[in-house]
Amino acid sequence: MSEVFEGYERQYCELSANLSRKCNSASVIHDSEQKKQKLSEISSGIDEADVLIRKMDLEARSLQPGVKATLLAKLREYKADLNKLKKEFKRISSPNAHDELLESGMADVHSVSAEQRDRLSMSVERLNQSSDRIKESRRTVLETEELGISILEDLHQQRQTLLHAHNKLYDVDSAIDKSKKVLTTMSRRITKNKWIAGSVIVALVLAIVLILYYKISHR
Amino acid sequence: MGDQLARGEEFEKKAEKKLSGWGLFGSKHEDAAELFDKAANCFKLAKSWDKAGSTYVKIANCNLKLDSKHEAAQAYVDAAHCYKKTNTKEAISCLEQAVNMFCDIGRLSMAARYYKEIAELHESEQNIEQAIDFYEKAADFFQNEDVSTSANQCKQKVAQFAAQIEQYQKAIEIYEDIARQSLSNNLLKYGVKGHLLNAGICQLCKGDVVAITNALERYQEMDPTFSGTREYKLLADIASAIDEEDVTKFTDVVKEFDSMTPLDSWKTTLLLRVKEKLKAKEMEEDDLT
Repeated sequence: MSEVFEGYERQYCELSANLSRKCNSASVIHDSEQKKQKLSEISSGIDEADVLIRKMDLEARSLQPGVKATLLAKLREYKADLNKLKKEFKRISSPNAHDELLESGMADVHSVSAEQRDRLSMSVERLNQSSDRIKESRRTVLETEELGISILEDLHQQRQTLLHAHNKLYDVDSAIDKSKKVLTTMSRRITKNKWIAGSVIVALVLAIVLILYYKISHR
Repeated sequence: MGDQLARGEEFEKKAEKKLSGWGLFGSKHEDAAELFDKAANCFKLAKSWDKAGSTYVKIANCNLKLDSKHEAAQAYVDAAHCYKKTNTKEAISCLEQAVNMFCDIGRLSMAARYYKEIAELHESEQNIEQAIDFYEKAADFFQNEDVSTSANQCKQKVAQFAAQIEQYQKAIEIYEDIARQSLSNNLLKYGVKGHLLNAGICQLCKGDVVAITNALERYQEMDPTFSGTREYKLLADIASAIDEEDVTKFTDVVKEFDSMTPLDSWKTTLLLRVKEKLKAKEMEEDDLT
């Protein structure tokens, strides 16, 4: 039984390959007579493919469950393929009027090469744009690099200033210590002088009192 | 601001009276200096810079009589800042006096800083030679105080101006020296190619092709990454253009470099000089042939 299925499968594959080739060739044909012929061929091919698939379906369902599952999976793939072909066919057959409206009566070869030339010029244009953008970004990178260099120089200078200030502060520290010593010496001297002056005053006063006392006592 | 002016005049008169009269305990100079200070402040607020400047000079004189050189120097600096707005020559002379005083006291770094200011003033007046002179002095002082970045900055200015007045050898030496010093420093090593480019341009202006090739080799030795940079490429291309005496090639190379990073006016002037020399040589060749 699966041999029958395999036979149907092979037929379907051939048919679908044939149909897809015919679709591709039909899409570039602009001559309406030839196109109509091709389209009728394709539609008959699609009908055949439909029949084959239905037969495959019946075969698959009549087999044992294990094999059935795999065969049904394959069948689903083929059905999807056929649907794609049908869509392709519709696409080719329906814009016919659209094409006829826009067609300017050029020969096949010319239209194909004009399309290619258009595509070529577009891609060249895009390449130019991207190379411009790359140049621009390179320029920006260089500017940024220069900016970075000047920032580094500034940082270096600030580093030196900070180190200098650090050293100066050490100097200030030791100068403050020295001045502290000087101030303590000054204050000691002041207290010493105060005591000396005080004692001299006391001595003088004592001397005056004594002299007065003696003067008065001798009187 | 008229009342500020009036207040300033008042303070000034009081101060003058103090000076001319007999003060108690000889403190008249200090009091006068204080009053002059207030007067100068008012003049600054009234925006009469000349009066403010002259008042500061009077303060400096008072401080000199008091033998406090530091205060006097500071007063001269303030005077110079006021004069900067109107009369540059006065400012320069005040700054010079201030610098002398700072040297006397021994504050060399401040002296160096003010030398730099004087040089900047000369630069703005376009006395390039004087400016070079003062920048050199400033660089010397900075070097003595071990502040190498400021020293390098001043030296760079010296080199710039030296190249402008065509003392190329001096400029080349300075740039190479700075490049060598910057190589060892992690932060500055990215600026090395800029300095080498400047040195290379000065070499080109000198016009000695052999020296240029030697110099390029030397720079290559100094900094192995230099040969990969666009600056090296520019220098090499210009050297070969000079060799072949092809002005169009020269212009093309310069234009290409300019399209990537715009050249500043100093470089443009020098490159223009090189181009003129090249054109002159070409003309000569045409005349002879």
